[in-house]
Amino acid sequence: MEIEPKREGRTPLLELRELRTWFRTDEGTAKAVDGVSYAIHDGETLGVVGESGSGKSVTALSVMRLVPSPPGWVEGGEILFRGESLLSVPDEEFRRIRGNEIAMIFQEPMTALNPVYTVGDQIMEAVMLHRGIGAEEARTHAIDMLRKVGIPSPETRVDNYPHEMSGGMRQRVMIAMAMSCDPSLLIADEPTTALDVTIQAQILDLIRELQQEMGMSVLLITHDLGVVAETAHKVAVMYAGKVVEYASVETLFERPRHPYTIGLFRSLPDLAGPGERLVTIPGIVPSANAFPSGCRFRTRCPIATERCAQEVPPLAPLEEGGEHTVACHHLEEAEALR
Amino acid sequence: MSGKREQRSPLVDVRGLKKHFPVRKGLLSRVVGQVKAVDGLDFTVGHGETLSLVGESGCGKTTAGRSLLRLIEPTAGQALYRATPEAEPVDLFGLDGARLRELRRDLQIIFQDPYASLNPRVTVGNAIAEPLRVHGLANRGELEDRVASLLTRVGLRPDVANRFPHEFSGGQRQRVGIARALALRPKLIVCDEAVSALDVSIQAQIINLLKDLQEEYGLSYVFIAHDLSVVKYISDRVAVMYLGRIVETGSADQIFDAPQHPYTRALLSAIPHADPRRRAERVPLSGEIPSPISPPAGCHFHTRCPLAEDRCRSTWPSAAEVAPGHTVSCHPVADAVQGANSTTGS
Repeated sequence: MEIEPKREGRTPLLELRELRTWFRTDEGTAKAVDGVSYAIHDGETLGVVGESGSGKSVTALSVMRLVPSPPGWVEGGEILFRGESLLSVPDEEFRRIRGNEIAMIFQEPMTALNPVYTVGDQIMEAVMLHRGIGAEEARTHAIDMLRKVGIPSPETRVDNYPHEMSGGMRQRVMIAMAMSCDPSLLIADEPTTALDVTIQAQILDLIRELQQEMGMSVLLITHDLGVVAETAHKVAVMYAGKVVEYASVETLFERPRHPYTIGLFRSLPDLAGPGERLVTIPGIVPSANAFPSGCRFRTRCPIATERCAQEVPPLAPLEEGGEHTVACHHLEEAEALR
Repeated sequence: MSGKREQRSPLVDVRGLKKHFPVRKGLLSRVVGQVKAVDGLDFTVGHGETLSLVGESGCGKTTAGRSLLRLIEPTAGQALYRATPEAEPVDLFGLDGARLRELRRDLQIIFQDPYASLNPRVTVGNAIAEPLRVHGLANRGELEDRVASLLTRVGLRPDVANRFPHEFSGGQRQRVGIARALALRPKLIVCDEAVSALDVSIQAQIINLLKDLQEEYGLSYVFIAHDLSVVKYISDRVAVMYLGRIVETGSADQIFDAPQHPYTRALLSAIPHADPRRRAERVPLSGEIPSPISPPAGCHFHTRCPLAEDRCRSTWPSAAEVAPGHTVSCHPVADAVQGANSTTGS
């Protein structure tokens, strides 16, 4: 396989190039994902942050080929896994990748687990399918996985149904299921949003431990900047179907450059001093049926100009060949917002 | 809430609030046990003050808020209410009929999901006007003006009065919910996870609005939330709950800067901070919250507590004052503080 030279000199595990996933709605075409590019390297955690409607989840569902169709479809762009196009893989073959090479966990495990099968059956099904091992071996493996994700007395819990477990336990089962085939990439879509904060801490620690132990990459989708700060190596900030900024977690939190990213940080209550008013981003997220022309953030941006309405700002590196990329026409003026 | 932390005169003083739900089983729905959702709470909300009730799912914070407003009937306890600092106190839990209806004007609630609390077939203008009409506080001519001024006050255009709830975004619906709660000029608003479902940028708008309204109208808030960074920002006082009881209470500064109870410490250390250089040093908390149907004997927290001793397994620690206005229900912590005090005293 030809490997073209990359910025970091290696092929990313997963790379999206100008991915577009659209939906047909009564109000017209909703361009939920509209030109998204990012990459995840081996052993890395990429945090994708954005508010509701930014397209962060639909991007992940597109990778997993789980976009409900109709009304949705991948309109264009590329999804490369180890440098090879995933979009051209036939469904049959893709099923060997999904769940095996790439696994996914969701916000509400109850909707992803089958209520009429025991958790053991559900883990066994995945390993028997992908690994071609027998039932007995699969059961032992399921118990091992439950133990690995910290479920007490896994020998009896393996025969529990999902409803017999708490939310935190169910999320652990989801993780055990996702990890059972030793995937290279784990996509975690708001994995801790529905959980209490002490349980969230346990689950995030677990994902980090498993990542180190098994060397997988993680695509972590969240709206919580605190979760990103604690878990991710790299961060992509999405707004209205596009990535507006990408950087290492340290760089992004220390020196955000896009007016939207800056606004997000300034509206966090934990960064405000006592008695200080929160700085807000005015207005609301535009609807995917009617994104503004040019830069999609311009309708809420304090420094937008006529140019922002005319030209779409490209996601470009701040320095030649640099890692930190931003999509904004007015980077210098944006400095004054911080 | 303007940074002042002095003791305010109490608006409502809650003592021994309990709410037990029967657990029924079988064909005859026999009562086989009680869920002690709230099991003896004492707390005070001052005039113009924000008290936050925090804790994880099942701790009883929502039940406490709803019992206070009599949206569900408390099992026991009293809530002494003084509309003004000079007024004779009345027990909210002892009222009924006309007197309760009258006082209800003073006590309002905002929910997490305003979509669920607004009738989809009623325009937001009518939804806001309804409480005014029910209490006969405005005649037909005045209604429209009142609604318009309420909408303006919460940052919406008056002409949206003719629209239906589904035409609004989540943040705008929450503004409608706030306008509706404000219509009767209440003294106290229970904010039940009122900003939890909102995106960060919108959440900040609503928090600012709540603070402005508090200053303008001298409102008191009982703020029920699981997001502790919001709680830290908005509260004057905080009560930390675990399995139906308050384990620690104090000013926001006392709770966040000098937490004493082992549960509070673990809870605070679990908050992810938006600062990658400060990756948390967590106080690990193993296990999960026990069922409120059969809470552990003694201190409910002992099954997960790093400090647990024998007496913690048998007797509930009563609240001990560790600093002015700062109380903790924990045997070892109370002893340590008393020990320190007696050494300095002698």
